[in-house]
Amino acid sequence: MAVRTIAVRERVMAKNDELAQTVRARLAEHDVVAFNLVSSPGAGKTLLLERTLERTNAAYRIAVVTGDVQTQNDADRLARKTDQLVQAVVTNGACHLDARQVLESLDAIDLAATDILFIENVGNLVCPASWDLGEAAKIVVFSVTEGEDKPLKYPKMFQQSRYAIINKIDLLPYVPFNVELAVANARQVNPELRFFLTSAQTGEGLDQWCDFLGMHVREVRAT
Amino acid sequence: MHEMSIALEIGRLAETQVGLEHVGEIVTVGVEVGDDAGIEPENLEFCLEAVLATPPFRRAKPVLERLPGDVLRLSYLEVDDGRPDDSSP
Repeated sequence: MAVRTIAVRERVMAKNDELAQTVRARLAEHDVVAFNLVSSPGAGKTLLLERTLERTNAAYRIAVVTGDVQTQNDADRLARKTDQLVQAVVTNGACHLDARQVLESLDAIDLAATDILFIENVGNLVCPASWDLGEAAKIVVFSVTEGEDKPLKYPKMFQQSRYAIINKIDLLPYVPFNVELAVANARQVNPELRFFLTSAQTGEGLDQWCDFLGMHVREVRAT
Repeated sequence: MHEMSIALEIGRLAETQVGLEHVGEIVTVGVEVGDDAGIEPENLEFCLEAVLATPPFRRAKPVLERLPGDVLRLSYLEVDDGRPDDSSP
């Protein structure tokens, strides 16, 4: 039998990563900073974005790409808070966004009139860690109702993220969540991780978060 | 959970490699999976079996090799074009 072997040695993510670089180049061309927000379902990504839009709308122009398995609910909620385009990607069962979906979404967004692009990924602490979407940084959101060991259970997501937002801190008096332990666990898997402590509900910590966004916008404009 | 997306991408890479008309001749799809690749190997194997049982694939079987690190590669393909082996006497 004439079986021949073809050596391929091609990375499975090569095509996605190539598209992510295309996304990155298009964003850079228009001085847009992109953040990929990742979390488990219900950590508060959408409310955090709603509050962010309310607070920063006058200062920076923020566009959002939301990914959900079904419904455009998040996009509809966010669209009420901004004049900028909110683009919904319904993944129809897929557990993550990929770079091709983000690239296609960019066609609908006026990048010349955008400072920050938020990509609100599908709520899932596993799969989105493997997909580069062309973002400047992944930001992992986890809430005090979830347990301090989230970073140890889902290390890849915390390793891939540059920033972590510990959200729902207004609930700290009611839940047995130890912030120091959560931070220590996260730093164990990623010593470089930087933290924000927020309550999207009460607004606590959002000043620091919005200052951080403003700093990035100024940095990009200055270069 | 994302193993099906990965399996479909491996199928696409294999097809690109040999060309659509030869996909049916692929008998083995060798994949390297790192321990830190964020992939459940048994799940990926299951998904690959499903993808490789679907046209244009005909008789390809996945062979997974576990490695340290975060590697995730289509490492090799074995193709049987049905012709007699030139090298045999």
